[in-house]
Amino acid sequence: MTTTPLAGPDRLTARGLVKRFGETVALAGVDVSLAPGESLSVMGPSGSGKSTLLHCLAGILQPDAGDVVLQPADGSPLDLGSLGERRRSLVRRQHLGFVFQFGQLLSELTALENVALPSMLLGASRDDAELTASGWLGRLGLDGMGDRRPGELSGGQAQRVAVARALVTRPAVVFADEPTGALDQATGYEVMRLLTETTRAAGASLVVVTHDADVAAWCERRITVRDGLVVDEARRADGTAGAATVPAGAVPGVAADGLDGWAGAR
Amino acid sequence: MRTVRALSPLLRRAGGRDARITTALACTAFAVVTALALSVVGGLLAFQGRAAEPVANGEPVFGYLYVSLAWTALALLVVPLVTLGGAAARLGVSRRDARLSALRLLGVTPREVVGLTLVETAWQGLVGAVAGCLLYVLLIPFWTLFVFQDRPFTPGELWVGPLVLLAALVVVPLLAAGSGAVSLRQVVVSPLGVSRRVRAPGLRAVRVLVAGVLVLGFIVVSVAMRSFGAVAIGVLLGSFGTAFLALNAIGPWVLRLFGRRRLRTARTPEQLLAARRLLDDPKAAWRVVGGLGLAGFVAGALAVVPALAAAQAERDATAEIIGRDLTTGGLLTLTLTFVVAAVSAGITQAASVLDRRREYALQHLAGLPTELLDRVRRREVLGPLLLVSVGSAALAIVMLSPLFGFLALTSMTGPVLLVGCLALGCGLVLAATEASRPLLRSVLAETVVRAD
Repeated sequence: MTTTPLAGPDRLTARGLVKRFGETVALAGVDVSLAPGESLSVMGPSGSGKSTLLHCLAGILQPDAGDVVLQPADGSPLDLGSLGERRRSLVRRQHLGFVFQFGQLLSELTALENVALPSMLLGASRDDAELTASGWLGRLGLDGMGDRRPGELSGGQAQRVAVARALVTRPAVVFADEPTGALDQATGYEVMRLLTETTRAAGASLVVVTHDADVAAWCERRITVRDGLVVDEARRADGTAGAATVPAGAVPGVAADGLDGWAGAR
Repeated sequence: MRTVRALSPLLRRAGGRDARITTALACTAFAVVTALALSVVGGLLAFQGRAAEPVANGEPVFGYLYVSLAWTALALLVVPLVTLGGAAARLGVSRRDARLSALRLLGVTPREVVGLTLVETAWQGLVGAVAGCLLYVLLIPFWTLFVFQDRPFTPGELWVGPLVLLAALVVVPLLAAGSGAVSLRQVVVSPLGVSRRVRAPGLRAVRVLVAGVLVLGFIVVSVAMRSFGAVAIGVLLGSFGTAFLALNAIGPWVLRLFGRRRLRTARTPEQLLAARRLLDDPKAAWRVVGGLGLAGFVAGALAVVPALAAAQAERDATAEIIGRDLTTGGLLTLTLTFVVAAVSAGITQAASVLDRRREYALQHLAGLPTELLDRVRRREVLGPLLLVSVGSAALAIVMLSPLFGFLALTSMTGPVLLVGCLALGCGLVLAATEASRPLLRSVLAETVVRAD
C-alpha cells in the first residue's frame, strides 16, 4: 500500500515495514511517506502498532524487514535501517525532534537549560545555545519561565518547553507521541496549536501518534493503523493543517466522529 | 492498619525485574551495614575483655586507652553506616513510588501508604540483618589476622554473643523503617503520581560560622594543652569529634558553593548536568561523600602517627606497640569507612538512575548519548569526592599542627600513607558508582517507557 506523495522528494519514506516482538506481529508491512513540511497523524486503538510505527520511522527500533529512508534538508538520504544504534542515535539528535506524553524534561535542569541541551549536544557553546533556547521559549509564550524547573511548570507549560526542545535544532521531522495525553482538553488544544504552527513555521514535517480524533484533526493527513496494517488513509479536504475544521467554540469541542473535514477515507 | 496488613504481603511479591534488583541491592546494603557494625562491636568487646583481664605487660595501663580508641572507631563508623542504611531505604522507596500512587488512586490513605512502605523496608532490613549476621560470622576468621597489643584476636574475643545478634535483628529493620519514613517525606505520593519535591531548602552561611568556631576552639584548647604531652591522645580523640561536627556543618554548604561555581563555568552538557545535580541537593551529595570526608580526616590525623610512633619507640617498647596499633586501627577504620562510603555511593547512584528512569529513557530515545550519562555520573561523584577527601585531610593536618607541628610532613611514611589511602578510597567509591552502569543500560534499553 502506498501513499500519495506531495510534489518533490519525500522527507521520510518507509516501505514494507515489518516488526515482530516474539510471536506478536506489531507491524505487518506498512508503507508511509511524508513530504517536507507535511503533518501526518497516526491513529489507532491501543496495541494497533502505531507507537511501534513511530519508533521504526524515528530510528528508535530497527524493523525486521523493510526500509526507512530519511532525507535531511541538506545532505544525502540516510537509510535508517542500515545504521547501527550509535549512528541512529546521532541521526535522532541531529535531524529529528521528539515530543512525548510527559516527563521528557530533565528535572534538574531549568526550562532554558532543557531547551539549550540539544544544541549543546551538537556542539554549540552554552551561551549560543541558551540564547537560541531563550528565543524558542519566547515563541512558545514562555517568556520569563526560563529559570523554572520542570516541577514548577504546569503540564501545558512543560509540553510547550518540550515543543521548544524538539524544534531548537531545526529538525527535519518532529515526532510527537500522544503529546496531549496528559493534558486537559483546553490545554491540549493550545499545545497542538503551538506544535503544528511552530513546526510548520520551522519548515519541519510532523508525525503525531494519537488515539484522539480531535488531536489528529490538527494534521493535514491521517492514517489509521490496526493489527499492524494501515487500514485507512485520509487527507484534509481543505488541504491545510490547523484548527480550521475544528468546530467553533474556541475550546475544542471538535467533531463527534472525528471524520469531519477529512476526504478520501478508504 | 488492616489495609497495611492485607496489602503488604501482596506488595512484597509484586514488581518486576527492577523491583528485584532494588530489593537485592537494599538487602545487600543492610547486610553490609549489619556485618560491619557487628564486627566493630566485636572489636570493642574484645578490647574491653582484654582491659578487664590483662595478660601482658602494659595492658593494665593502656587497656582502657584501647577501649576508648575502639569507641572512637565505632563512633566514626556510625554515621557512614546509618547513611548507608538510609540510602538503601531510599532506594527501596524510589521503586515503590508508582505502585504507591496507584494505591492512593484506589483510596488507600496517605498514612496507610507510609505504613505499607515502612513494613516493606523493615522487611528488607530484616532479610539484610539476617544475611549480615551470617556475614559477620564468616568474617571473624579474617579479623583474627589482625594483631593488637602484640597478640592476634581470638574468635572467642570477637564473638558478640546471641544478645547482640538479636539486637541487630531488631535495630537494623527499625533503622531501615526510620530512614524510609524520612525518605518518604521528600516525595509527594498523590493518586496521580509521585513527584519529588522541587529544590531542597537553602543552606545558611551560619554553618560556616559554627564550623569555624569549632575548629578555632579546638586549636586554642590544644595550644593551651601543649605542655601536657600525655594528653595528646585525648586531644586526638577530641579532634575526631570536633572535626566530625565541623565537617558535617560545613560540608553541604561547601558542596553548594562548589556546585554554584561549577554551574557558572559549565561549558559542556556533562558539566552542566553534573553541576545542576550537585546543586539540586548538596545534602544528598554530602551524605555520599561525607563518610569519606571523615575518613580523609582520619587519614590526615593518621599521617602524624608514624612520625610520632618513631619518636616514641626510641623511648620504650610499649610506646612502640601502641604506635603500631594506632596505625593498624586507624587504617582498619579508614578502610571500613571507605568500603561503607563506596557501597553508599553505589546504592545512591542506583537509586538516582531509577528515580530518573523515565527522563533518561525518553532523552535517550531523542538521541541523548549513553556515554554522556556515564560522564555526568563520574563528574558528579569525582569533584565532590576530591574536594571532600583532600579538604578534610588538609583540615586534619592544620587542626593538629599546634599539637604536633607539621610532624606529619617530617616522616615520608605518613604523607605516603595519606595519599595512598585517599587515592585508594576515591578509586573504590568511583568503582562502586560504576556498578550502576548495567542498570542505566537496562533503563535506556526500554523503548516502551512506562508512565510512572
